Amino acid sequence: MTEDNHTPQPPAQHGDGEHGEQATTVQPTPPKLNLLSRRDFMTLLIGGGASMVLAATLAQPLDTFARDILQARVDGAHEGDPNYRWVMVIDLSKCIGCDYCVWACQATNDTADDMRWNIRVEDQTQLGNTFHVTRPCLHCHHAPCVEVCPVGATYHRADGLVVMNYDRCIGCRYCQTACPYGARTFNFSERSETNPRVPEWGTPEVERRPRGVAEKCTFCIHRIDAGLAKGLMPGVHEEATPACVNICPVNARFFGNINDPNSTVSRIINTTPTLRLREDLGTDPSVYYIPPEGLI
Amino acid sequence: MAVNTRVQPALAQPAPRGKTSPYFVAWIMLLVVMLVIGVVSAVHVIINGLGVTNLSDELPWGLWITVDLSSIGLGAGAFTLSAAVYLFGLKRYEAIARAAVLVGLLGYSSAMIALFLDIGRFDRFYYPILYWNVHSVLWEITMCVILYSTVLVIELLPVIVESTPLKNVKLLRDLSHFLHRLMPIVALFGMGLSLLHQSSLGATYGILTARPFWYSPSAPVLFILSAIAAGVSLTLFVTILSGRLLNRQMVPLDVLEGVAKFAGFACLAYLYLKLWSWAATNYYGRVPEQQLGLEILAQFTPYNFTFWFGEVLFGALVPAIFFLWRPLRRNRYALLLAAPMVIAGLVINRWNMTLSGFVIPLDWSPGVGDVFPVNHYEPALVEWGVSLGIVAYSWLAFTLAVRWLKLYPEARALSTGERVYEEEGHGE
Repeated sequence: MTEDNHTPQPPAQHGDGEHGEQATTVQPTPPKLNLLSRRDFMTLLIGGGASMVLAATLAQPLDTFARDILQARVDGAHEGDPNYRWVMVIDLSKCIGCDYCVWACQATNDTADDMRWNIRVEDQTQLGNTFHVTRPCLHCHHAPCVEVCPVGATYHRADGLVVMNYDRCIGCRYCQTACPYGARTFNFSERSETNPRVPEWGTPEVERRPRGVAEKCTFCIHRIDAGLAKGLMPGVHEEATPACVNICPVNARFFGNINDPNSTVSRIINTTPTLRLREDLGTDPSVYYIPPEGLI
Repeated sequence: MAVNTRVQPALAQPAPRGKTSPYFVAWIMLLVVMLVIGVVSAVHVIINGLGVTNLSDELPWGLWITVDLSSIGLGAGAFTLSAAVYLFGLKRYEAIARAAVLVGLLGYSSAMIALFLDIGRFDRFYYPILYWNVHSVLWEITMCVILYSTVLVIELLPVIVESTPLKNVKLLRDLSHFLHRLMPIVALFGMGLSLLHQSSLGATYGILTARPFWYSPSAPVLFILSAIAAGVSLTLFVTILSGRLLNRQMVPLDVLEGVAKFAGFACLAYLYLKLWSWAATNYYGRVPEQQLGLEILAQFTPYNFTFWFGEVLFGALVPAIFFLWRPLRRNRYALLLAAPMVIAGLVINRWNMTLSGFVIPLDWSPGVGDVFPVNHYEPALVEWGVSLGIVAYSWLAFTLAVRWLKLYPEARALSTGERVYEEEGHGE
C-alpha cells in the first residue's frame, strides 16, 4: 500500500535501465516531494466531492425518512383523537385500600388474580403511617415499553393512551423488562380459569388475550372510544369511564381530558399538589397522585 | 515465518475415516441423548406454552436468555478472525478462520433456537422483519442477527462445497469461488453487523433507566469486549482439543500463539473497562439505588462471589496471564485450561447480568415502606432440558464438521510420539 508507483522517472531510464553508461550520464533528478501524485489527488478530490454532494443530497430525505419511520412505528398517531389527552388522578389521602378498583378491573378486563392490570400495595410515610397506592398502567407519554418493543406492538395513540396490538406481539417480554412500574403482565399459559370477580364486580367487556402475548391496563379504551362515538364524555359519563374510577366508594379516582382546562382532572391538577411515580425517569406518566398526609 | 508451516493440499484432508474409536461413538451417543432430551423439552414448551417454565412477570427472562446471550457472545470469534484475515490482511490466520466461522454459525443458530422457544408467539418469530420499530435495540439485534447469520452461511459455503461431493457440481464450485473473492466485502459487512449487535446486546440492559443495576453506558462495550475475548477463546479451545483428540496439528503453531495472544489482550481490555466501570459506580462514586441493589444481591445471591471470582479473576485476569506469558502460552494444557475459563467467565457474566437486574425489585411506590419483595428464580427442569439440547446441537454439529469438513486447511497428521505444542524451536 505504501509503495509509491507514481514516482516520475527520467524517460531515458525507462526500458533502457541496463545500459550502464547512459545511466551514469543522466543527471540525477532532484528528489521531489511527492506525497500525492496528480492522479491520487484527482481521485481524492472527485471521490471526496462526490461523497459530500451525495451526503448533502441524501441528508434531508434520509432524516425525514428516519423520522417518518419513528413516528409511524412508535406513535400510532392515526389512532385516537389528538384533541384529548386522558389522565387519571388518584387521591392517596382518600384511598382506604378496599381493593374495589382492583376487582372491578379484573371483572371488566377479565384478568386473572396473578395478572392484575390494576394493583394495590401498602406503603409507609416517613413517620410510619400506612397508606395505600393503587397503580393502573400509567400511560407514560415517553413510555419505555413502547420504545423497546421490537415490532411496535405497543404504541402511543394521539390521545395519550399507550395501547397494545395483541395481533402483533411476539411475546419477547422486553416491555416487562423495561417498564419501571411493573405494569406489564404476560400470558404464560392459555387461560381457562373462571374469573373469580364475575359477576359480583362486573362482566368482562373485552376478550381474553391469547397465550404468549403481553398485556396491560388500557384505561378501559373500549369504553372511551365507544363513549365518545355516542357523544359521551369519559370521566363524566360512567359508561365512558374506566371501571376502576366508577367503582371507587370514596371517590379517590378521577378521569378526564387534561387538554380541557375545565375538566375535573385539570382543575385538581391545577389547584392541588400532585406527584407522579418516578418522575426522575422522565417517563411523563398520565396518572397523577394526590399524596397522603405526611408524605414528603 | 508463516510460509514454512504451509502444507501440501494432499495433507489437508478431513480426519482419517474408517477407524472409528469407541470413545467417539460414546461421545456421539451422549450428544444424541442430550439432543433427544432437548427436543422432548422443546416440544413440551411448544405444546404447553411458557407456563411450564419458572419465569414470571417479575422475572420474565432467565436461563434461555443466558444461553442466547452466551452463544452469540461465543460466536464473536467469527467476525474477529474473519476481519483479521480478510480486512487486516493477516492471511496466516485463515488456518483457523474457517473453524471460527463455523463456531460463529453454531453460536448464532443456537441463539436463534433459544430465542424461538423463548418468545411467547413462535408463530410470529419473523414479525421483526415485517414490522420495524427502529427505536428498539431488540429490533436492531434481531435484524443484525438474521443478516449476520446469512453472512456466516456465505462465509462457510465455500468450505462445505469444497469438502463434500458438492464440489463436483460446477455451478456450486463457481459460486463458492465467486463468494471467496467477495470475502473482504462480506467480512467488512460482518464486522459492521457484529460491532452493532454484540454491543446492542449489552445495551438491551444498559439503556433501562428504571433498573439502576443495569443502567450503564459501559454495558455495551463490556459485552463486545468480553464477546471478542471469549469467542476467540472458544475457537482456540475447540481447535486445540480436536487436534489433541485426532492426534493432528490443526493449525500452525504461530497461528495458535497469535490467537492466544490476541485473546489475552482482549481479556485485558475487558478487565480494564470492567474494573473502571465497577470503581466509578461502586468505589469512587456511588449511586444510592445501585448500592441498595448490590446489598440485596449480596444478601440473597452469590453475586459478589461469582462476579469477583467467576468474571474478574478466573474469567479474565488468570486467563490473560496464561495467554500472555510465553511459557504458559506455549503449553497446550495451559491454553486448554485458560480458554474454558474465559468462556465460563462470559457465561457467568451473562447470567449475572440477566438475573441480577431482575432479582433487585423495582421500586416505584412513593413512600419509604418496604413494599416490593426480592424476586427469585431457579430454572425449571424443562428450561435445563432445552438448554442441554441446544448445547448438544452445537457440539454435535462441530464434532461432525471436524470429521467431515476441511475445517482446518493447514491441518497435518502427527507421527507417533511427535510432541508439537511443547517444542520451542520455531523462530526465537
